[in-house]
Amino acid sequence: MSDRKIRILYIDDEEHNLQSFKASFRKQYDITTTISVVEAEEIMEKQEFHVILADQRMPGMTGVQFFEKIRSKFPESIRILITGHTDISAAIDAINKGEVFRFIDKPWDYTYVENAITHAYDIFKTRAELKQRNLDLQKAYDELDKFVYSASHDLRAPLMSVLGIVNLALMEDDIQSQNEYLDLIKQSVKKLDTFIINIIDYYKNARGVQAVTEIDFNQLVKDVTEAIKFLPEFGKIDMTTNIIQTGTFYSDAMKLRIIFNNLITNAVKFQDQKKDNPFIKLTINATSEHTRITFEDNGLGIKKDDLEKIFKMFYRAGATNSGSGIGLYIVHEAINKLEGSINVTSTVGEGSIFEINIPSVNK
Amino acid sequence: MTNQFDFILIDDSAFDLFIYEKLIFKSGIGNSVRPFNAAQDALEYLIGQDDKFPETVILLDLQMPGMNGFEFIEQFDLLPEVLKDRIRIYMLSSTIDTRDIDKAKASSYIIDLLSKPLEIGLLKTILEQ
Repeated sequence: MSDRKIRILYIDDEEHNLQSFKASFRKQYDITTTISVVEAEEIMEKQEFHVILADQRMPGMTGVQFFEKIRSKFPESIRILITGHTDISAAIDAINKGEVFRFIDKPWDYTYVENAITHAYDIFKTRAELKQRNLDLQKAYDELDKFVYSASHDLRAPLMSVLGIVNLALMEDDIQSQNEYLDLIKQSVKKLDTFIINIIDYYKNARGVQAVTEIDFNQLVKDVTEAIKFLPEFGKIDMTTNIIQTGTFYSDAMKLRIIFNNLITNAVKFQDQKKDNPFIKLTINATSEHTRITFEDNGLGIKKDDLEKIFKMFYRAGATNSGSGIGLYIVHEAINKLEGSINVTSTVGEGSIFEINIPSVNK
Repeated sequence: MTNQFDFILIDDSAFDLFIYEKLIFKSGIGNSVRPFNAAQDALEYLIGQDDKFPETVILLDLQMPGMNGFEFIEQFDLLPEVLKDRIRIYMLSSTIDTRDIDKAKASSYIIDLLSKPLEIGLLKTILEQ
């Protein structure tokens, strides 16, 4: 059974009608038939149909009554009524109560039926797409709401800290401790700046135009790590990179930079201070088709409960030293845009491994 | 002579904990200060207390990873009455979100929502009322 075919359910108490319909259309549609309205409902519970055809004259229940009954429960399926002798009141009922899309006269004409089904399916598809768009919009709206809520907090919090320190400094007469306060202000301002840079990255990633270029991983890694290596938090981390590039790989350098920068910075930020030999091992295997990147560290590691949540927007796993919870979300979004995947394995106290697979973008 | 209080501070920001602690001692309203950078830790500390627990003022941050301020209040509700009677909670947050503000006002445990940065003079006045 192919998913591409239009799925039709046809209900008629006269078996030979069902047979002849099947004989005419079985090649182009996926057809299910039944002579019983009761059974029809049972079938609909199990499977979704694009189009429902029902005969008007059936014992026990007319086609219109059947449509009226199933309409609210299965609103997506498009209803077509097949009728031998149309009287005007049946037609009015069909439209008002059964909300029927089309009438088909018996004996039916092949092209007419085919047309009716094609149009019915178009409507089904359009409605389904509209529904999906609405869901997407709702998701975007919820995300925006969350974004504004958390971003306003993350923008204000460091500023309020600075104000707090200033208040404290004003109470202090001792000049020596003023320097200590200035240093705190500096840290707070840096935190705020990092957040703003993240927001810009997020925006560039989400809205920016994809700029595909040839990627030289050696150069890219060099650019990214050079900036990080001189940070005071980098400490005594031993960072090793092993890059094997066998072909020309095309991708969006900006997105890759965001990914590398966030993952390396995280490894630096969440290093285990108790360990004597903190390390980051970066391995890249690039062919002309595909690149596999792994970041391995012996840092603090991620709790099992947190593992599935770390890519969510504004999810912060730890209380101390943690950022705003946007870095890995941006990484995840960037990898999605590149049609790649990311996988994490981690053990608390031992370290984490992030594995990324990205296909080359075909020009 | 200024009244002195025992404080519990709950905030995920190490900066803010440091600032509050200093402000509280400098202004002379602090008898003791116990800082927690995770609400969960503060809750566990409270669960271990009995009726000899001193009268305490809690300054509670709102937006924190793990357990946030409102989630802390939900768990606080489950503590024994004798303990809760000895604790006064003030929420301290930089939030400007009206939903948060309404929620804080609606809570029977949150006496007041103070905005960050902590105005120590204001806190002093409030506590001495």
